Amino acid sequence: MERVVDLHLTDNATRKKWQSFLEQLDLHNFSEREVESIDHTIGLIDEDGKLVATGSTSGNVLKYLGVCNKDAVQGQRFNQIVTALQQYLFSEKIFHFFVFTKKKYSQSFQHLNFRELAATDQAAFLESGMPGIDDYLESLPQDPSQKDKRIAAVVMNANPFTLGHRYLVETASKENDIVYVFVVKTDASLFSAHERIRLVKDGLSDLDNVCVVSSQDYQVSKATFPAYFLKSPDDLIKEQTAIDALVFKNWLAPKLNITSRYLGQEPFSKTTERYNESLIKILEPKIKVKVLNRLTEDDKIITATEVRKLIKNNDLAGIEELVPATTFNFIKVHLTELQTRIKKGKQINGN
Amino acid sequence: MEIKTIGVAGTLESSDIQIMISKGTNGVEIDLDSDVKKAYGDQINHVITETLNKYGIEDAKVKATDKGALDCVIKARTLAAAQRATETQDKPDLEVL
Repeated sequence: MERVVDLHLTDNATRKKWQSFLEQLDLHNFSEREVESIDHTIGLIDEDGKLVATGSTSGNVLKYLGVCNKDAVQGQRFNQIVTALQQYLFSEKIFHFFVFTKKKYSQSFQHLNFRELAATDQAAFLESGMPGIDDYLESLPQDPSQKDKRIAAVVMNANPFTLGHRYLVETASKENDIVYVFVVKTDASLFSAHERIRLVKDGLSDLDNVCVVSSQDYQVSKATFPAYFLKSPDDLIKEQTAIDALVFKNWLAPKLNITSRYLGQEPFSKTTERYNESLIKILEPKIKVKVLNRLTEDDKIITATEVRKLIKNNDLAGIEELVPATTFNFIKVHLTELQTRIKKGKQINGN
Repeated sequence: MEIKTIGVAGTLESSDIQIMISKGTNGVEIDLDSDVKKAYGDQINHVITETLNKYGIEDAKVKATDKGALDCVIKARTLAAAQRATETQDKPDLEVL
């Protein structure tokens, strides 16, 4: 009988065996940061104690799945390993999960009731469990005459919400009937998801055609676009940004009748620049992509990165020039707490 | 009976069925994936709905991934998932089967 076991990658011998097994199956990205993001790894062991299949989870994402089908019924080991991973997730009260995989494996996952949300020539992105994307789309507020309106969207991490974000949304709000602002949910930033969405809402409360919602796992999340949060090689960024753009194009835009997407031009972050390029390539011409130049203050471009730096340097006066009053008040009240987070190791240079 | 959380039972292996149940508002809505859906889809849906109704659940969203399970397995998995979703595992009402 083959049996499922937990693999502890912190053990060097196990890690070596695991990695060489996956390398035989043509998986090659074992960067420390990628491997460190794994929460749990399981393996399938045959009668002789040989590893014949493995899979891992990182949050609600399945990762590093590899199956050797030699001497086995096609699909049997794959089903066993995915079942075992699901049991683990269920025990962690995670009932909705994703996989980012090679295009050629998409069918195998679909066979286990995963739903393909986007695919390129190379990669595929699928979800399974509850609540799914349909439930998410249903939960977004809509106007009764949505179909006849001009509707735009902005996706932002807003870490924290600055005058630059405000300018982007304000412009979209003037040029459209309704603007959806999707705030990134993934909690990997200095400001928590809860704080970010609150500051976005507070900073836009005077614009009554703006609707602020969470992007959940569907836009710039650890599932669609992990490279936004982990430094990654260029080809990976290209695949992920394409998938992220396709999820927007295939699901969010048609459901909400979104006809344009507003972006800030990206002078600094290479990852975000690639993201902008992918969005233009994939969304146009169906969805218009408008890239706005960044707002400047005294010839300096306003970025959230700069605000985070000023928080670290205790420069409240500098911060006041870059953010709306709502964000400023929040920072003033929570300054020591934010600085403690930075001291405790929260990265402030990334996104 | 009130559904309080998401409940799951069953595996994705041959001869089994995996049932996932969450809150619904519009009767028992089943999203069934099965290789034998054409021939047995109605029967599977019927068994799931009947088991839930007998357990006192009128509204639920169900996701079912069938790998060729027999009716008795479908019933057992549905009941187990329903107990977990309603958080009543500790007082199983096996009469339903």
